[in-house]
Amino acid sequence: MKRIWQPSRISWPDHNIMTRTNLYALVLTACCTGWIWIGIQFPLFQSGQQHEVGLCLIKQVTNVPCPSCGTTRSVLALVDGDFASSLQWNPLGWLVGTMMLITPLWITFDLLLKRRTFIHFYRRTEGWFKSKWVAGPAIALVLANWAWNICKGL
Amino acid sequence: MDLQKVDLFIMTNAKFFEAHHLGWIREQLIQLDDAQWPTLQMQQYKDPTTLLIVSLLGGSLGIDRFMLGDTGLGVGKLLTCGGLGIWSIIDWFMIMPATREKNMAAFQNLLA
Repeated sequence: MKRIWQPSRISWPDHNIMTRTNLYALVLTACCTGWIWIGIQFPLFQSGQQHEVGLCLIKQVTNVPCPSCGTTRSVLALVDGDFASSLQWNPLGWLVGTMMLITPLWITFDLLLKRRTFIHFYRRTEGWFKSKWVAGPAIALVLANWAWNICKGL
Repeated sequence: MDLQKVDLFIMTNAKFFEAHHLGWIREQLIQLDDAQWPTLQMQQYKDPTTLLIVSLLGGSLGIDRFMLGDTGLGVGKLLTCGGLGIWSIIDWFMIMPATREKNMAAFQNLLA
């Protein structure tokens, strides 16, 4: 007898979907790495001995800064309380610094209360960025920031 | 569906999926109605090799992840210089399996 296809019989596990656990682990790891990195760099930054760090592949290979070059120095200036020079280094540092501060607290709150507010926010923002009216200006801003980085010679 | 068509689909599109997906795909296609064949043919899949090249060249900017549709991860890579360079290197190895998984999800959506 010929078997008839039924959608309900499809049961392939969906590995590629970002689960709550995966996302929270990834973001927490990223934030921890970020704070450790800032912790290592901060004493050097304060004493003015910070060298060009050279973790950026683009900067290493082409000697041209990438759009997010200067973010470490920007966050370091933020930690130091120097908001103006933080903006001067790289405006993305404000975004990264805010995220590094807020997301661990948000995720902890979610985990403690067994809620899913952060992943809902992540998915909503991701969907939002797929619209050309948001993605277009965002890309333009990143490109403008990149041009500024190149002009500054970071 | 006709076995010949199923095998044609598998031969043409095998590179877009993981080897362990193919048995399951074949099983699903055999059960599929012939009327679904044009829809199945029209579905476009992302080439893992292309994504690998993009990852090698623009991985630090997160372009590979944007292309895959993982906008959140793309922004994450962009803001962190490719995860301090480490994530970029990990993605050189991860992007091809991730692309195949995405293709699998696209195939699954087609059937659903």
